[in-house]
Amino acid sequence: MNISLLRPPLAPLGGVAKARHSPCDDSLPRLAQGHEEHPRKTRYSCATGISPITYPHLGFGLGLRKEHYQAVLDRRPPVDWFEAITENYLVPGGKPLYFLERVRNHYPLVLHGVSLSIGSADPLDRDYLRQVKDLAARIEPAWISDHLCFTGVGGVNAHDLLPLPYTGEAVRHVAQRIREVQDCLGRRILVENVSSYLNYRSSEMSEWAFLSAVAEEADCLILLDINNIYVSARNHGFDPLDYLDGVPPERVQQHHLAGHQDYGDYIVDTHDHPVIDPVWALYGEAVQRFGPVSCMIERDARIPPLDTLLEEVERMRAIAAGGQAAHA
Amino acid sequence: MPDLSGVQQRFVDWLLHTDPAFAGDVADDGRIPLETRLGIYRNAYALRLMEALMDAYPALHTLLGDARFEDLARAYIDAHPSSYRSIRWFGDRMAAFLRDRPPYREQPVLAEMAAFEWALRGAFDAADVRPLTRAALAGIPPEAWAGLRFVFHPSLARLDLGWNVPRLWRAIDAGEAPVPPEAAEYPVGWAIWRRDLRTWFRSLEVDEAWALDRMRAGAAFAEVCAGLAEWIDEPYVPERAAGFVAQWLGDGLIVTADH
Repeated sequence: MNISLLRPPLAPLGGVAKARHSPCDDSLPRLAQGHEEHPRKTRYSCATGISPITYPHLGFGLGLRKEHYQAVLDRRPPVDWFEAITENYLVPGGKPLYFLERVRNHYPLVLHGVSLSIGSADPLDRDYLRQVKDLAARIEPAWISDHLCFTGVGGVNAHDLLPLPYTGEAVRHVAQRIREVQDCLGRRILVENVSSYLNYRSSEMSEWAFLSAVAEEADCLILLDINNIYVSARNHGFDPLDYLDGVPPERVQQHHLAGHQDYGDYIVDTHDHPVIDPVWALYGEAVQRFGPVSCMIERDARIPPLDTLLEEVERMRAIAAGGQAAHA
Repeated sequence: MPDLSGVQQRFVDWLLHTDPAFAGDVADDGRIPLETRLGIYRNAYALRLMEALMDAYPALHTLLGDARFEDLARAYIDAHPSSYRSIRWFGDRMAAFLRDRPPYREQPVLAEMAAFEWALRGAFDAADVRPLTRAALAGIPPEAWAGLRFVFHPSLARLDLGWNVPRLWRAIDAGEAPVPPEAAEYPVGWAIWRRDLRTWFRSLEVDEAWALDRMRAGAAFAEVCAGLAEWIDEPYVPERAAGFVAQWLGDGLIVTADH
């Protein structure tokens, strides 16, 4: 298999690329915040996926975790692709990059970040973006994703995925920043819905309306985490099917599936358990609506043997096959 | 964005300082108590950073035990909130924190263990650079040796430890019976580095530690030889100095030799 065929073409940059400054550069003259018809509305074309704006379908993947590095290289398990946590590889060298490059030699990879802090009121961290861009140049991920949230403000990183108020102000703020990130990285990114445990008084719309508005305004793609929808639906008392029905299918590039901890009144998204049946069922509903979308299993704690996770990958594959048959 | 930055600041103030003002921003739907909702985030914040410290300082954790390590972690998290994008760098000031802060400063072995574990972590993911080969060094003409300067591997760290910290660390890492902390008569120099994918550490004799520090600081070989006369009779200095270089080469510590 020629992996390079799976690499999405880097879309040509629009007017911004012709500027003298790199779009990652701090010295880029700042455009006035707000609503001018800015030249930054670069449209990225990667018309090789299912919809005209998505990347090619990768199939069924797994989160790459250090506990499985050696087993993955020794056994080459039947997983279509791996997702790597970006920050784990923003290091100068050593084992993390050694294993990432070797896994990349055999599988497509995507980079999934946890600290872009795209919704923060702080300025975008250009140094971080440059590091991500360098890593992407090195391992050629099929795509790059992060979360629709903020992780801190005032120079502090809480290292948590904190929800944003669902307001028009936040939509404009986040969308503008996603555009800047996309200009810097030269590609469309994916933003993921996070699990949340609180909502704001100031919210003006549903979470799915917010996610959809951001994706449309920013012209980005969506990483729709099925488990996070389930967790947030339980914590906030909405119908998860309303969520699935409320996002633009043509922008859904990827799904996550994971386990969580159920405390009865509420659930905490811990990624330390197997995927539960109601989440599998919700995934089936997603397959009905979105068709073949690249999907993967996330496990971040109490990491089981690789074979246990491979069983989950196979279950995901089977549900998608059934759902696609129904979809057709 | 006055509203967005304000609410974010209050959220972070809640996480860091338990500042209750943020509660006013949160919708109360009557389903789950507000305190529960806020508590989930506050607990997750402390827990995640605590786990990061446990990950960085497993031997310090063992030395202190769970309860004291948790106290330490909470105090450190309050004193030094993370400003890093990657949580890998959180905890970088632990050795200094333990050196300064009572009651930890009464047990200097703790700060030394933290410094040692942070150096191991630094070596683990330092940049990959191929060490200099013996053949490359052998190609340098003898008359050029006086002016020779070395660049050392980016993973190399140097510590002077007054306690038997590497011994303690090894016993803890191997899951062996605990070794009692013991102070040495005088501080011992240690080198910590990575070769390929393996991290190494070894003690240094006092003249080797001095020579290594001088050459890392950019001194030429002749200067180091002159200084070694402090410990060694003049006629034996060249042999001693050449022995260090051979050892450093063998360890993979030298990456370039300029003359």
